[in-house]
Amino acid sequence: MGARSPSIAAIGIIGRHNNPLHIALFPATGEGHEQQRDKLEYSFMLNSSLDIFEARMPSKTVGHDFGLLHALDERLALYGWLTNTGVKLVIVVDMEGRTAPTPEAGKTAILGLRNSDLAPAFQALQTAYIGLLRNPFYIPDEHDPSATKGSGSLAITSTRFINEVDRIGKTWHSGMAVV
Amino acid sequence: MSRPTQTQPLPDDDDPLNPKVAASALDFLLIELVPLAQRITEQLHAREQALQEEYRRSRTFNQTASKTLVGSQQKKLQDGDGEEGQGAVGVSADGSSAAAGTGGGGDGGVGEGSGVTSLGFPVMSEKTRESVFWRLDGMGYRVGQGLVERFSLHKPRPTTPLDAIKFICKDLWTLVFRKQIDNLKTNHRGVFVLTDTRFHPLSRMSVDRRTGIKGAEEALGRAQTFLYFPCGVIRGALAGMGVEVTVEASSTEIPTATFQIKTKGAKA
Repeated sequence: MGARSPSIAAIGIIGRHNNPLHIALFPATGEGHEQQRDKLEYSFMLNSSLDIFEARMPSKTVGHDFGLLHALDERLALYGWLTNTGVKLVIVVDMEGRTAPTPEAGKTAILGLRNSDLAPAFQALQTAYIGLLRNPFYIPDEHDPSATKGSGSLAITSTRFINEVDRIGKTWHSGMAVV
Repeated sequence: MSRPTQTQPLPDDDDPLNPKVAASALDFLLIELVPLAQRITEQLHAREQALQEEYRRSRTFNQTASKTLVGSQQKKLQDGDGEEGQGAVGVSADGSSAAAGTGGGGDGGVGEGSGVTSLGFPVMSEKTRESVFWRLDGMGYRVGQGLVERFSLHKPRPTTPLDAIKFICKDLWTLVFRKQIDNLKTNHRGVFVLTDTRFHPLSRMSVDRRTGIKGAEEALGRAQTFLYFPCGVIRGALAGMGVEVTVEASSTEIPTATFQIKTKGAKA
């Protein structure tokens, strides 16, 4: 049985008014352990993470990194990041998501992740989101339910942003300095 | 500068962790923005006027056509096109009655005398003035949203509206206008007044002092249009941080500019 190491299972980008902007799912890789992610299940998970953001908001006045939001079971854990503009980035990590490339990496599955392991991924996600805002064809108000009076809340359609999120999700591994 | 672990090395001015603004390019862009908004609005307005004119003209044409056709109906009957003529009259009568119902609303278009000022800029009529301001404000709003996202990257999260305003006064103003706001006043009930004694876009405007007070007032009126874009930028930046506001700008003397920010539900 090969050792397993953590990989990103899902990335969720949620807007200021708790409207989902983008959800990306990454299946578990490695022979014998392949598993597709259920979109509905992960939508529920991301939804539940919003409550944790709200609960911790008053006490967390400094910093953007919310760290470990919630550990669902032995395999799945949710990490969160809040930007200055109220956009929430949530990453769901599967502790046994891929085959371990090195023996040390295999031990991480048992030891667990540190908050700082995911910081590069969050920064890369924030960079991608800033890149999206620099696109003049992306109008944030169109995706904001309060501004469009209920006819909006569309998901992000920019291919470049979606590809960048996919790249981050697939290439991240623990111990990476820059994604 | 290249890092081996990155997929693409970022050019020096595009590093999102160390953002920069091209200041002189921005200045020229802001100067051009106002005439651009004017031209857009004028063109749209002119097109709307043309459509309304056509509507009205077709309506009057139908009415006169029906009258002449009725008059010449006897002749046409003799010619044998009587039925066609009658059919045409019937259609045009229906058309004119339908147009009369909707054409009533189209009567609002009076000819707009678009002259040209001494500098060659189109003079704005009263109707287009409001739309130009609204358009400029909307442009500034979108820019403000993008700016706040990118440049508040490493700053602490603003917890109160006052923190957000402070970010505007210090960081945003320094980035966009290369200086900080000189004076910030608040009545602690949601109204903030920002004063800039040497507002950058107004600092290079000339005033025709030969005509005395009148020249100064005329310059102020023209300068007013250049204040709407920064209003929009402030509004967009604050909206990005979650504070809903209305912003008004005024200038009593070039180059001073005052911005009044009212949060929702504020008491003056």
